[in-house]
Amino acid sequence: MREGNSVVSKVLVLDDADVHFASLKAFCDECGLIGIRPQQKSMSRIMAILKSNVDLGGILLYEHFGARTGGGIELAREIHASRPELPLFLRRDGVANVAGLNEKDAAMFRCAYTLADLQHLRVTLEASIFSRVYPTDLVRGITEMTRASLQTLFANCDIDVETPYLVKDRIIYGEVFTLIAIESHWCRGYMMFQAEEDALMGVVRRGAGEEGEAMTFRELNSVLGETTNLVWGSFKNRYVGHETASLSQTQVPIIINHQRRFISFGSDDPQLCLKYTLRERDYPDAPPTPIYQRFVFNLNWSPDQLRENPSVESLFDSGELELF
Amino acid sequence: MAQVLMVDDSSTVRNEVCDFLKSNGLTVTPAIDGKDGLDKLRADPAIRLVISDVNMPNMDGLTMAEKIRGELKNAAVHVIMLTTENSPAMKERGKAAGIKGWIVKPFNGGAVLATLKKLVTA
Repeated sequence: MREGNSVVSKVLVLDDADVHFASLKAFCDECGLIGIRPQQKSMSRIMAILKSNVDLGGILLYEHFGARTGGGIELAREIHASRPELPLFLRRDGVANVAGLNEKDAAMFRCAYTLADLQHLRVTLEASIFSRVYPTDLVRGITEMTRASLQTLFANCDIDVETPYLVKDRIIYGEVFTLIAIESHWCRGYMMFQAEEDALMGVVRRGAGEEGEAMTFRELNSVLGETTNLVWGSFKNRYVGHETASLSQTQVPIIINHQRRFISFGSDDPQLCLKYTLRERDYPDAPPTPIYQRFVFNLNWSPDQLRENPSVESLFDSGELELF
Repeated sequence: MAQVLMVDDSSTVRNEVCDFLKSNGLTVTPAIDGKDGLDKLRADPAIRLVISDVNMPNMDGLTMAEKIRGELKNAAVHVIMLTTENSPAMKERGKAAGIKGWIVKPFNGGAVLATLKKLVTA
């Protein structure tokens, strides 16, 4: 992981360089990348992997992937058509540029590189995947407050959180998601929670005991909504100044395509993604249930102006009554 | 005839607080937002305590509190906010509207039950 940075990114590695795998893995580690490699190299298998991994930061692709001349380029065309938001980085054998590719194919790639010189790739990765810095203290604070909020709503679960990561993907995970605006003098954007309805419904039902049998998706909506509300409130109390600064009224359309499970906020900047996993203590055989949290600061991002509010909860803890 | 009016747009919170108060001997009426809360308060003069969220659709909790003192001219009912909000400015606005107290979510019934019961009987 890059020194001083707690945020990583997941990349799909479509490369045949088995003999260079160790050096490629070391490079990924240095760059804060978590590499995912497919077991099978068929196009259908890779497109299936893309379908189940909706939180990628980019794709490292070998020009002749699958031991076929130009196989990587064909694959890139398919990937680029279905997920154009994902940056593609092309490994070539001889030259570290896109010479020889037609203009349309060349435009699919953020850069071309060779294994002999990874510096160019490193610089391009920084500029495309890690182009936005999320302060470590902020990420840690978000993780703490979200875990606490989830614990309140899912008291029957142990909650794990993975290392926070950056995503370029715009695909929505699962069927149910919440969206709430975050407004401050230093950031403007949105927070989302995304989950699979059936899996989370199971957790909610089992947690409610006998009453759970009558629960419908509306109760699930309410639980996820209240989770969002608690985290939003905690975020505001901790990171949004109490001064009444006049806020910009700028807005951009949010585009949602249900057919493709796609959501765009009009910005290409990498989103901060945190994956929480709920494990039910009383049902150890139940599969763990993931909930994804994403932050998209598409309207303003000035973390240098971030000041954590002094704790106002030292006198009164959450849940206690402050009488006037 | 309810003693407590519980106002929150989240059914999860509304049910949790209502169930807790009922299980501790209080009579509770739920309302889904500030507008609904005002209507229920108008209709039931026995309500002595209002517990309300701040951020709600149609009418927020602070506006509802202001209307309780203003439009309804009801100075007898105690109003407590139960909210994720914790800003001094909001609390000052609440104080000016005559609210009695402030609870930052999540709700911890055990910590506040005795005080709530006192307010209902005061």
